[in-house]
Amino acid sequence: MSILTGAEIVRRRDLGELTIAPFVPEHISSNSYDLTLGPTLLRYTGDVLDPYRQNPTEELRIPPEGVVLSADRVYLGASVERIGSDQLTPIVKARSGTARLGLYVHMTADLIDIGSLGHTTFQLHAVQPVRVYAGMVLAQVTFWEPVGQIVLYDGKYQNSCGPQASRSWCDAPVEVSA
Amino acid sequence: MILTGPEIVRRRAAGELTLEPFREDFVNPCSYNYRLGPVLRTHAVEPVDPRRDQPLAELVIPSGGIVLQPHRVYLGTTVEEIGGVDTVPCLIGRSSLGRLGVFVQFAADMGNTGASHRWTLEIEAVQPVRLHAGMIIGQVSFWTTVGDLTPYRGHFGRFDDATVPPVAHLTARSR
Repeated sequence: MSILTGAEIVRRRDLGELTIAPFVPEHISSNSYDLTLGPTLLRYTGDVLDPYRQNPTEELRIPPEGVVLSADRVYLGASVERIGSDQLTPIVKARSGTARLGLYVHMTADLIDIGSLGHTTFQLHAVQPVRVYAGMVLAQVTFWEPVGQIVLYDGKYQNSCGPQASRSWCDAPVEVSA
Repeated sequence: MILTGPEIVRRRAAGELTLEPFREDFVNPCSYNYRLGPVLRTHAVEPVDPRRDQPLAELVIPSGGIVLQPHRVYLGTTVEEIGGVDTVPCLIGRSSLGRLGVFVQFAADMGNTGASHRWTLEIEAVQPVRLHAGMIIGQVSFWTTVGDLTPYRGHFGRFDDATVPPVAHLTARSR
């Protein structure tokens, strides 16, 4: 099979084939591991975002009573857990409980590159105003077996610590050639 | 199983999947980057009705980019022709775009085995955001399949422009 069961996630972690740290056995589900929201959020301060430019952000610390995400903007959060694997492809999904609140944990790009390691950045978007709390279980990570030779990720988000804003400005513009 | 980047390269060279035009530097550990073509379309009439014709306004992206507004769906196309003979392509965005609040293929990320064409992209912006023609907007992964293959003969496999299906097709599905 191509997706790891919860028991297999535990076994492969013990073998050093994947990283989940900190690791709490209660966060294992039948075929995923639960991820929790770290204590800080980022939001952009500019009016129009532009992937070819650096977009300034401000940091919010989530107070004990939580913070209400408004529906008209994107917030970036990070997992408490450092996750990654040099042998498997991690894919991050919302917990259904999060989705039922109308909260996206990513807008696109659920796929994590093989070899990437760090706190995963959540692309948070609330359909209606939603209160979030530091440490809440928000998402889950699944692990998928790849086929083929592996070349490890060495990109611009490697070793992310806390939420990371878009670095698309690092990509040089390319010509439309078709 | 998901193909690694080197496996995507190997299978393309063997003629088992299509990524044209192809660039080595667009290969990721388990996906391949694709770019946004120069034209966007957006629904011109509200409400959008799947049982009626859906007029689309066409927006040609100027050299300085175009600002997408929230609460609208924009349809784009990939610069690349993308397909797999016996694998399933899954189109998603780059995380760099998701981090800017851009939904790419937010509902239908899964392609059909056997269909090869420039893909229509569903794009939505949470906050106003500027998109540029030719920018790297997403990535495609390829998944191996189990079972007999049935050639894809659907409508979307023949469409190369940002489009919506013919009324007859949608109404047949919605009844």
